[in-house]
Amino acid sequence: MAASNDEYDFLFKIVLIGDSGVGKSNLLSRFTRNEFNLESKSTIGVEFATRSIQVDSKTIKAQIWDTAGQERYRAITSAYYRGAVGALLVYDIAKHPTYENVTRWLKELRDHADSNIIIMLVGNKSDLRHLRAVPTDEAKQFASENGLFFIETSALDSSNVEQSFQQILTEIYLLVSNKAIESSQDNVQPGTGAQIIVSSADDYTKSAGGCC
Amino acid sequence: MNSNTRAASSTFWKRTPAFVPSTVEIVYSGSIENAPARAAPSAELSAAKQQLPPSPLTPPLDKEAAQPTTESPVPATLSTKSTSDQSSAVAVVPGDAHSLKFYSLLTSANVDIEELRKQSWKGIPASQRSTAWCLLMGYFPLNASRRQQTIERKRREYSDWVRQTFSRGEASLDRTLWHQICIDVPRTTPGSPLFQSPRIQRSLERVLYCWAVRHPASGYVQGINDLLTPFYYVFLSPFLASPTNDLQHQVDALDESTMGTVEADSFWCLTKLLDGIHDNYTHAQPGIRRQLVKMKDLVSRIDAPLASHLDSEGVEFIQFAFRWINCLLMREVSLTNTIRMWDTYLAEPEGFSSFHIYVCAAFLLKWSKQLQQLDFQDILLLLQKPPTESWTAKDVELLLSEAYMYKCLYHNSPNHYSAAPAAAPAAAGHKR
Repeated sequence: MAASNDEYDFLFKIVLIGDSGVGKSNLLSRFTRNEFNLESKSTIGVEFATRSIQVDSKTIKAQIWDTAGQERYRAITSAYYRGAVGALLVYDIAKHPTYENVTRWLKELRDHADSNIIIMLVGNKSDLRHLRAVPTDEAKQFASENGLFFIETSALDSSNVEQSFQQILTEIYLLVSNKAIESSQDNVQPGTGAQIIVSSADDYTKSAGGCC
Repeated sequence: MNSNTRAASSTFWKRTPAFVPSTVEIVYSGSIENAPARAAPSAELSAAKQQLPPSPLTPPLDKEAAQPTTESPVPATLSTKSTSDQSSAVAVVPGDAHSLKFYSLLTSANVDIEELRKQSWKGIPASQRSTAWCLLMGYFPLNASRRQQTIERKRREYSDWVRQTFSRGEASLDRTLWHQICIDVPRTTPGSPLFQSPRIQRSLERVLYCWAVRHPASGYVQGINDLLTPFYYVFLSPFLASPTNDLQHQVDALDESTMGTVEADSFWCLTKLLDGIHDNYTHAQPGIRRQLVKMKDLVSRIDAPLASHLDSEGVEFIQFAFRWINCLLMREVSLTNTIRMWDTYLAEPEGFSSFHIYVCAAFLLKWSKQLQQLDFQDILLLLQKPPTESWTAKDVELLLSEAYMYKCLYHNSPNHYSAAPAAAPAAAGHKR
């Protein structure tokens, strides 16, 4: 009945989380529409957008849920973590408190998201060099210790936005492909790394995602 | 302000000699209000209104004429002094029965609130909206003889709070709360020059902070900033009288007492508004969740095929209607159209808490046919940004009428809103 106008090989659900005002909505609009709005309104509840990219000659469609940053909305937005295979956890490199809150956001994900979700820590607003409050190395190390991917972006000047989504989608794809290969070979391959599945709630153990 | 507002504004600012009935003392009724492309009263009214220069020294019509000048040692931007009090500004134009009716209603010794509601349902003339809203909100007493005294007291009370709250500087404020308000205020109605005015923004911050600290069960929740803007818009209207391009200068030129009364009145009206929907913003937002259940139930009764299509596509009401309820559809319709909607909401019993759900249902049904052709993704994309840019007051009025019809059909239906399966006869009659 429904007319789907696009074909894809994989559909991955990604959530954008992080404190209010760190630029989640602009990362999303930059990636999906190549737009940036200095005066965008605050996100209420959740907002949704999609974009397809090519990885390894496969079409991967990202279904991205942008969430409200304010704490009051967490009860509502955590419902959207269900089924997400990736999360971009965003902070503002010019606002240290938003980085300090990353730990709380990680707890949110542990409590509400699938245990094998891939998480990328994103230091946004990298254009604000003169206002930097969070050193890159510190965040990189934190990410490494916590098994998160890491990147710094600027939704304003576009730097690394494409790469951040590309990378997380590619990682998810690789995990899913691994899983598919394993199933087809019908044997156990120890040590191949993390596994991820899109729709089942099977309880795979996630190994460290590594860090870039 | 959206594009159609801007486009329409040029016609609304023409200075037209006003008809002044001999029995009526009209002096001032400038307005920034403009209902785009509206053939109905308020457009004509705006165009026909007398537009005196926006001098803060020009007093509006004031039935309680001799107001005491209360000297209050409040911060720079606030005062309870009401030499240019908009509270009772009332104006009329010739040949407009609706407007004349309002004039006589609002100037009576004891306002007939039932009649005021009845008249307001159809829309309130822009020039009389600020007084009408304050009465309908329950902020102004209906009894004219008590009114001025009460208003003075409330304004003084607010300005005292502000003084107490902010006298010890920003360091004494709740940091998280203040930070959240400060990042949201600049992105409140970002397209509007009025709300980009630094003076208005500082004022919004004070109101939101004062309200939040007095309502710790919810505190400030994003979206409440949106709900404050219609009050500022309506209460400032009588004082801003020329085209919008130099709105900031006009705002800057307003005297302290005018800004003070606008701010205090906005605070109290916001308080009244939120009193009725407070559980929309308390922990886990139970009010919104409850209304989402009601809305889903309502839609499934009115338009079963749409409800079942949404269901089969995995679309949940919380995914698109959460914001509709949280922000009272202010993200979906323009500010001027919102103001028109609120005329009716204020006229309805439980307009913001109950009638709004019928409006949301009617709003969703606008796109029923289209939605039934779409898949999950396209449904959400459509409902996240419904094409209402070109909506005029007429579209809003149609929406309100449809909502009213649904309310009449379903509100007293014993099974309506109940979790139990619908009784067949109750639902059957409404299928189209």
